[in-house]
Amino acid sequence: MNLKKAVITAAGKNQRTLPLQSLVDRDGSTKTALAIILEEALAAGIEEIGLVIHPGDQAAFAVAAGSHASRLTFLEQSEPLGYGHAVGCARAFTGSSPFLLLVGDHLYVSTEARGCARQLVETANAENAAVSAVQATHESKLPYYGAIGGRRVAGRERLYEITDVLEKPTPTTAEQHLIIPGLRAGHYLCFFGMHVLTPVVMEVLAELLAASGGKSVHLSTALAKLAKKERYLAAELGGRRYDIGAKYGLLTAQLALGLAGKDRDEVLTGIVELLAHR
Amino acid sequence: MNLISIITSADDATRNQSLDAFARQASVAQLLEARTRLDTFRRSAENLYERVRALFFLANIHRYHLPAKLLAAASATSGESDGAAPVLIPFHGFEQLLGRRFEEAIDTFLADQQEHGPSDGLSSALAAAYHRLAFQTLADQVRRSVRTVRGNQWMFRMGHPADQPLRIRPELLQRSADGTFPILREQTPVRMDLTHSAWSDIFFLGMDFPEGAKVINISVDLGVHGRDAAPRPPVSAWLRVIDEPVLRLTSVDLGATADISALSDVFDFAKDYLGLLKAAVIASGIIPPGIEGSGHSLAELLANIVGPGRGLEIVSSVNDIPKGSRLAVSTNLLGSLISVCMRATGQTSGGIGQPGETLPGLIGALSEPDRRLVLARALLGEWLGGSGGGWQDSGGVWPGIKLITGVPSAEGDPEFGISRGRLMPVHHVFSREEIPESARQALMDSLVVVHGGMAQNVGPILEMVTEKYLLRSEAEWLGRQDALSVLDEVISALKRSDIRALGAATTRNFRQPIQAIIPWASTYFTEQLIAKCEREFGGDFWGFWMLGGMSGGGMGFIFAPHRKLEAQDRLREIMLETKHELSASLPFAMDPVVFDYAINEHGTYADLLSGDDALMPAGYYALTLPRLIRTNRAELPATRRTELDKFGAAARTRPELRGMVQTLFDVLLPRGKSGKADGATLQELLEQNGFDRTQHEQIRTDLKEGRIGLAQNRLRADTQIEDVKAGDVTDFTLPAIRTQVTRQGEAALRNGELAIVTLAAGAGSRWTGGAGTCKALHPYAKLGGHHRTFIETHLAKSRQASRVFGATIPHIFTTSYLTQGPTAEFLARMGNYGYEGPLHLSPGKSVGLRMIPTVRDLRFQWEEMPQQVLDVQQQKVRESLRAALMNWAHAAGETGDYTDNIPLQCLHPVGHFYELPNLLRNGVLAQLLAERPQLRWLLLHNIDTLGAGADAELLGQHILSGACLTFEMITRRLEDRGGGLARVNGRPRLVEGLAMPREEDEFRLSYYNSMTTWIDLDQLLAAMGLTRDDVRLAGASSAADHQEKITAAIRALAAKLPTYITVKDVKKRWGHGQEDVFPVAQFEKLWGDLTALPEINTQFVVVPRLRGQQLKDQAQLDGWLRDGSAAYVEGLCEWE
Repeated sequence: MNLKKAVITAAGKNQRTLPLQSLVDRDGSTKTALAIILEEALAAGIEEIGLVIHPGDQAAFAVAAGSHASRLTFLEQSEPLGYGHAVGCARAFTGSSPFLLLVGDHLYVSTEARGCARQLVETANAENAAVSAVQATHESKLPYYGAIGGRRVAGRERLYEITDVLEKPTPTTAEQHLIIPGLRAGHYLCFFGMHVLTPVVMEVLAELLAASGGKSVHLSTALAKLAKKERYLAAELGGRRYDIGAKYGLLTAQLALGLAGKDRDEVLTGIVELLAHR
Repeated sequence: MNLISIITSADDATRNQSLDAFARQASVAQLLEARTRLDTFRRSAENLYERVRALFFLANIHRYHLPAKLLAAASATSGESDGAAPVLIPFHGFEQLLGRRFEEAIDTFLADQQEHGPSDGLSSALAAAYHRLAFQTLADQVRRSVRTVRGNQWMFRMGHPADQPLRIRPELLQRSADGTFPILREQTPVRMDLTHSAWSDIFFLGMDFPEGAKVINISVDLGVHGRDAAPRPPVSAWLRVIDEPVLRLTSVDLGATADISALSDVFDFAKDYLGLLKAAVIASGIIPPGIEGSGHSLAELLANIVGPGRGLEIVSSVNDIPKGSRLAVSTNLLGSLISVCMRATGQTSGGIGQPGETLPGLIGALSEPDRRLVLARALLGEWLGGSGGGWQDSGGVWPGIKLITGVPSAEGDPEFGISRGRLMPVHHVFSREEIPESARQALMDSLVVVHGGMAQNVGPILEMVTEKYLLRSEAEWLGRQDALSVLDEVISALKRSDIRALGAATTRNFRQPIQAIIPWASTYFTEQLIAKCEREFGGDFWGFWMLGGMSGGGMGFIFAPHRKLEAQDRLREIMLETKHELSASLPFAMDPVVFDYAINEHGTYADLLSGDDALMPAGYYALTLPRLIRTNRAELPATRRTELDKFGAAARTRPELRGMVQTLFDVLLPRGKSGKADGATLQELLEQNGFDRTQHEQIRTDLKEGRIGLAQNRLRADTQIEDVKAGDVTDFTLPAIRTQVTRQGEAALRNGELAIVTLAAGAGSRWTGGAGTCKALHPYAKLGGHHRTFIETHLAKSRQASRVFGATIPHIFTTSYLTQGPTAEFLARMGNYGYEGPLHLSPGKSVGLRMIPTVRDLRFQWEEMPQQVLDVQQQKVRESLRAALMNWAHAAGETGDYTDNIPLQCLHPVGHFYELPNLLRNGVLAQLLAERPQLRWLLLHNIDTLGAGADAELLGQHILSGACLTFEMITRRLEDRGGGLARVNGRPRLVEGLAMPREEDEFRLSYYNSMTTWIDLDQLLAAMGLTRDDVRLAGASSAADHQEKITAAIRALAAKLPTYITVKDVKKRWGHGQEDVFPVAQFEKLWGDLTALPEINTQFVVVPRLRGQQLKDQAQLDGWLRDGSAAYVEGLCEWE
């Protein structure tokens, strides 16, 4: 698998301004969240990036992308019909190529030298299959994520073959269908917001959209079907994701970036001072 | 034969052998050795069922086999007793037993057995301990299995509101244009068990022998014949979001509603009538069991599920289907409630892997995985609520006709390696190809389903079945195989649409295997109904079909289709007439009803009501509207106001709400109650039965001021209580040649000098749990092929004695306000059972009025007296109930008159001391003396002492001893509680259990009082300062001075005896077959206290257990039948 394309979604109702927020990156320079995400993708060897946006947002995003704007293709989502629909808007852009899929409101901090996207892309290349990044998540967080069921790939650490995908399952369903041996009790593998997908997903999405009658379509539904059609893997990456759309999400993401970068001491000193005065 | 190999063998033929076969041929020494090996085995056995079978084997050896062998060995070795006192049961072990520390109790008892050798008493204690440990082990396993079912586990991990992962489905948050939230409505059929599974649906049994756990179960809609227009799903559960951060629960049928705002109240099951709804909310994960006792906020938890400031309202309704229908109404209601809660929180998928459907899982029928989950949750809910149904009971969740079977556990199951079967069965829903439409229609055209109206406790029966199956007792095991073949017959008949053959099969099932396993499954009432149907419908009555744990409640009668309609009407009349005949003998909770029904082909089904349709069931408004109307409209939330308007509009236009105006009017302005019992008011009854108002007020004052009460019943703490010494009793337990004594008795009997007095004034509170029927008239068991009442049995014994000695024995039954009328009427109807001798009823002449107990006494009884601790969850429910009852006593007014029940349930008999004096006051003794001047001796005994009778040897002993009273004692077993024979400050006398200064004192006493007393009439009269002439004159004339002398003599004697306060349970019936049990205070004076009077010469004899034991509780019946007691009694009887 030779990955050169990425799709980033940023058209959601609550997502439209998040990628435009400014943060200080690990290298100490101030960037928009969008720029940080783009760099994550580029560091993974991606050359072309399709950005799914709400109509009319292009100018702001072009500015926010800064020097990487030239790599972008803007794709407009005309109606809010769910995440599956947003991804489907990139069908023409991805064509017959596999692609890296990211969300515009998540930042990733790797615990390895390689970035999270790069880890994922290398896994996909090596396995020659669609791979979703996953993270063991406590069941109380199930209402926020898609989750997978599957089995470990023999002889490989942190790699799973997916059999089921369920969007925001209840713990009742999760316990029946998504238990994976080896995880802590009450923990499931939930999506990390980062996938490498094959063109088959776009076909499935197109079918689902055609049959939806104007209703929302979840990407998870398409991924569940993908698992039935071809080998589809999940990988636990060395890193953490930060949802900048959550309450204090931007702050947490900033702290995570700060503590993982060159200004670590400065950030720590700031925190300690803050604590000493409160 | 090796008992351990029977338990462990993989070979069916070996494993299915019974303990009895081994025990029959074993000696005492062999039994003791076998029991020691079993005990060692069960301590190390890892397999649950091997352990449990070993425990049941041990319990049975100690309950049945060892006592009989010990007795036989003692008889063989010595003709006379050696005079040594029997081995006592250690109190410490008893305390451990009460505290559910079964293992420790067993060790304590075994240590005693090791030291003193085996004895009847210790054996009874060991039997009880092994028995309870076996059931505890089984219950623990079911509980573990319920928790480990996938889909249930997470609920036990969740302990903080922030961790609640469930969210309300968005559809339920979409307000209508008028601002109200939609209502999710679940409608669920109930289930009928077409084969009667021979109880194979008890969890323990399915897990022990899954191959034998099979039932055919039909989902049905229901209506009450003559009341409801058409059958419909009888069970419904309704759920909606509300704009208040509370959990609002309403049970329409029980008339209860509550706004719950504290988490702890959700787990308080017995606080109100909403326990089932609470169990459903917990088992569905909305308030997960893991959060119990966390002290967190309910509002916070609800906010996570439905949003800040919002709550949930859940309403249940069972369309007034009466309780005890044996159609699993409450389990299916639990299933319905759980289903609606799970749908509302997105836990039902409508089938995994098909998201994108219209409202998947929210409305319509459930998918098979969802139904299984509802079943798993219902099991959890039943355990939480402290109840327990069979595994087929949630059958209404499934559609149509299905075969439910147990499944052997396999690798991967939580049960694997622990039990042979899985907890959860599998359901096969029969298709139209398997059971054609014509068969379904034919079944409906022939089968009449009824509720006979009897109130029953099937709990003991389920325990009996479990024990018998696990023991593989021969007759029961064969019965079980036979029941399995009946199932095949029923399926085959159904497939052929041959309902006549089906009727033959279900009748055979009832007659043969079911009653071979549990004779108590049939009742006299049922037998009467079947006989009447056979008489009236002849060949058109195709069969009887028993539903549930026992017959008398829900039952089926199968008729030729052309007579079904007629049969429905006639059966109701027959049942009513039979109930009327038996209403004094058997506990009925309600009038019998006939049901209309139809097979439900959907199973549980949900729809979403919104806009103008978003209304709760009509009964909900009858319950809640009066309060809302009284509230200032401006104070009601906007959605409530809108709802009121909406309901007002609907009540004017919708035909199904036509009666609402009248209903609401009746609720707002209730009609006055007449409060009459058979035409008599409470006041009239009190006057007719010699109620002493002055004494009543005195007792009330004393009770209120703490001079009398449960704590004051006790003798002073410094009283010396010791066991009697060798010379204090004469032992008659072993056969011996006592020619002179026996001759003396025989001569007296031949001469007609003896009369028997049977005490039949009481209601037998323990017998029916306070139902207020006459125990004497209860057809308690089949002897000589027919159901026999206690009265008939006693008369049959007197008949035999009369014939043996050639002189009829006069027989007197003492009665009370409660039993006089029914007993007289019953005996007249039965023609005195053809009794040849004089037969008299001695009506009671004194009655008391029950009082609301003091909280002090309730606390004493429940908190200070040693109590049997229940299994964890049941104990929680019991504590919650007791707290509620103490609140009731406080709120209703301690020591106030208890009048909130039917009048007969408000009165109480004043103790058996008065029964004999009553003979003097009511003229019965005078009449007897006139008929039979030679009468010198009386034998007085309790109605439930079935072995007591005119024994020549004991009578001879009494005559020769010259005593005024001779009391018959038996050696003590664990269950013989309530006092005994003691040396009190050095003098032998009887001490009542409630008078023991310390609980442990009772366990130092070797002998238990059977209450059977031989009386020297002249000496007793003399002790009262009376003569035969006084009795004769008082009886012959109504002269006040003669009467007065007698009354004064009785009063003087009574004054020497203590007055005890007791707390008894009384049932209050309401609604459709509902029963509540209330504790009430009453006082009594007891016969045994006469032994404390020095002027009365008393002696004590020890008699064989079979003669002296009492039948207090229906749960004893099975053991009574098995241990030879029934055969002993039958040997004394000569039936009409």
